[in-house]
Amino acid sequence: MSEHLAPDAEPRNDREARYNEFVGLLARHDQSIRRFVRSLLPSRDGVDDVLQETALECWKKFDAFQPDDPDEAAGEFIRWACVIARYKALGWQRDRQRDRLVFRECVVERLADAAIDHVRRREQQRRAIESCLDALPGDDRRLVLSVHAPGESVARLAAETGQQARRLYSRVNVLRKRLLECVEKRLAGEVAHG
Amino acid sequence: MDDSVRRLIFEAIDGTISPDDFERLQSAIEQSDEVRDEYLRAVGLCEELAEIAVVHSSPELPDALPDPVRRPEAGERRGRLQWWNPGRLAVALALMLSVGAAYWFGRHNSRAPSSQMAGSSSRDVGTDEAVIAGHATLRRSVDLTWSRGTPAWREGDVLPDGQLQFDEGVAEIDFFCGATLIVEGPASLNIESDWSVQVIEGRLRANVPPAARGFVVRAPGADIVDLGTEFALEVGSGSARVEVLDGEVELRGGDLDGQHLRTGQTLALTGSSDPPQAIQGLSTIGELLRRRDDAEAQRFAQWKQSAERLAQDPRLIAYYPMALASDGRIVRNAAATGAERNGTIVGPVQHVPGRFGTASAGLDFERPGARVRTRIDGEFHAFTFVCWGRIDSLEHRYNALFMGDGYENGEPHWQIRDDGRLMFSVMVDDSQEIRHYSELEKRVVTGAGLHHVYITEPFWDITRSGQWFHLAAVYDPQARRVTQYVNGREISSEPIVDRFHTETLRIGPSEIGNWGQPFRKTPEFAVRNLNGTIDELAIFNAALASHEIETLYEEGKPRGY
Repeated sequence: MSEHLAPDAEPRNDREARYNEFVGLLARHDQSIRRFVRSLLPSRDGVDDVLQETALECWKKFDAFQPDDPDEAAGEFIRWACVIARYKALGWQRDRQRDRLVFRECVVERLADAAIDHVRRREQQRRAIESCLDALPGDDRRLVLSVHAPGESVARLAAETGQQARRLYSRVNVLRKRLLECVEKRLAGEVAHG
Repeated sequence: MDDSVRRLIFEAIDGTISPDDFERLQSAIEQSDEVRDEYLRAVGLCEELAEIAVVHSSPELPDALPDPVRRPEAGERRGRLQWWNPGRLAVALALMLSVGAAYWFGRHNSRAPSSQMAGSSSRDVGTDEAVIAGHATLRRSVDLTWSRGTPAWREGDVLPDGQLQFDEGVAEIDFFCGATLIVEGPASLNIESDWSVQVIEGRLRANVPPAARGFVVRAPGADIVDLGTEFALEVGSGSARVEVLDGEVELRGGDLDGQHLRTGQTLALTGSSDPPQAIQGLSTIGELLRRRDDAEAQRFAQWKQSAERLAQDPRLIAYYPMALASDGRIVRNAAATGAERNGTIVGPVQHVPGRFGTASAGLDFERPGARVRTRIDGEFHAFTFVCWGRIDSLEHRYNALFMGDGYENGEPHWQIRDDGRLMFSVMVDDSQEIRHYSELEKRVVTGAGLHHVYITEPFWDITRSGQWFHLAAVYDPQARRVTQYVNGREISSEPIVDRFHTETLRIGPSEIGNWGQPFRKTPEFAVRNLNGTIDELAIFNAALASHEIETLYEEGKPRGY
């Protein structure tokens, strides 16, 4: 196969151009692919590993990537990379099922089928989340972000505000639910306006 | 959409979900389009929140592009930065670097190099030989209260990589590299490898002997690499400070990169720039042991009272509470049935600490020939065997708990197979000659007679060596059922079919921890001494109900279980 020709056999410019093209596509769509990978794993554990394996595999197979429509190259690249990512995510979980909670193969397949659509709406989703967050009162905003911020924690907030951590956790989930509903409404609104 | 399912989704995202709930969630995702969609949207939301949160919180994003080979500091763990942030570009650059490297290497090796790139976790690639999936053991603990939703470990457990979180108490954790941490709660750790741990919250003292030099503790603000031998760390309330108690540490990452601290020096890793006070009042191992011994003595006293009550149970055939220290060769029968049913120590039985620490006693049958012999005459109409035992290893194909000598009609055999399964059987008709092919001896052999072995799923493997277990077997001819329990929970339930049904039960001369009269002499078949300790054994002339077994477990369990 052509990708295994010795480097000096291929014209230098072509190879370099291909490499640059690959790196450009990867850098631009890394976030979308990362989101896809995250959707196939039950936690953030392993996302970096799977992403790295996916990137390497994509590079190995890049010669086989020929978009049908140059205008849709971005979308096609994401879909193509996500097929590889699905395979890698399955393998990663299969290797670790003895010592942590991982998704069954059929669950990963179902999620992968559905996630590809979600990935394409990521940019819109981000804008919606930001406006919905802004609409929250300051304390609530800080609380719901606290669960995700490094160095912060619900336990610390509980100590500061004198509340029970358990109560804060359920408040966090109420806020998350509210955000989800707000985001959905916003996205539906955007779609309606074309 | 049910709120309970949404809760499961968030618990999975937060990493606090239990294995049972996780199964429930998986099934829901598999079967319901709505749940699947909600799951994906929730994951998307939380990922976005994580990125937004980093921008809002951390005041010290690095200006320079981080070296892709260096480990990331906790604040930018996994490189979750805004797309337009220079840090983000560094991640992409590092990706390109590793991809480029892979292109060249990939043509010569089949395996990709395990390059460390900013944003990736440091993990060994391809250790196929790992027999125990873990990086440390929970060596000792005092009054640990595990945080809800996080795994609860017991003394002696092997800890895998991942989160360790408790609200209260003190834990002594031995890493496989040789480093030891004594951690005071409330604490939250992330065990990463044999050589590294991340501290999200907590106060700890780290002891790193020469063999473990290089052990890394990741704290907010810096990674602490111990160059030998002891330092203290406190993380919490938005700050982190480290104090070197003895020896030297090196700080890596962030503003403090490259700094060395020596004995007596204290440094704040984050937060204020004022020189911090020394970290006060951390437990030493000596203090930990004292607290532990006090807690244990208390628990032992409690158990003694429940043992006295148990001894009054009229259904008892015999009760041997070996944990109450015995003298000489007599293993006293504490039940009303009296001295006639006392046990006698025969052979090299070792007196070792029981499950309540050094104040209590146990009998160890490690040496071949070690046994406790007893003789229990009479006829019975049901059996419940209960014991507390600790297995060091399963040396033989069959390892004895309680074995009737001659295995005549009605007599019991209670043992553990080398694959970790419990086996309980009662002889139904010893006059029958049953020939079968024995895998063990690779030939056709004549069995003892007509009997059926009730066997459970494995409950023990080498990672549980040294742990105490409550084991129970209930043989109920009236209900025609054999039920077996581990730690108060039912592990197997099998009907007694007509062919193997007998209502006349006996015991006769029999042994604890070994088998007195094997009817075949090959060593694989005959040698059955238990490489472990038993410190309590009870036999009832009745089929105890599951809640009674559970109560026995709860009342008898040692501290920390």
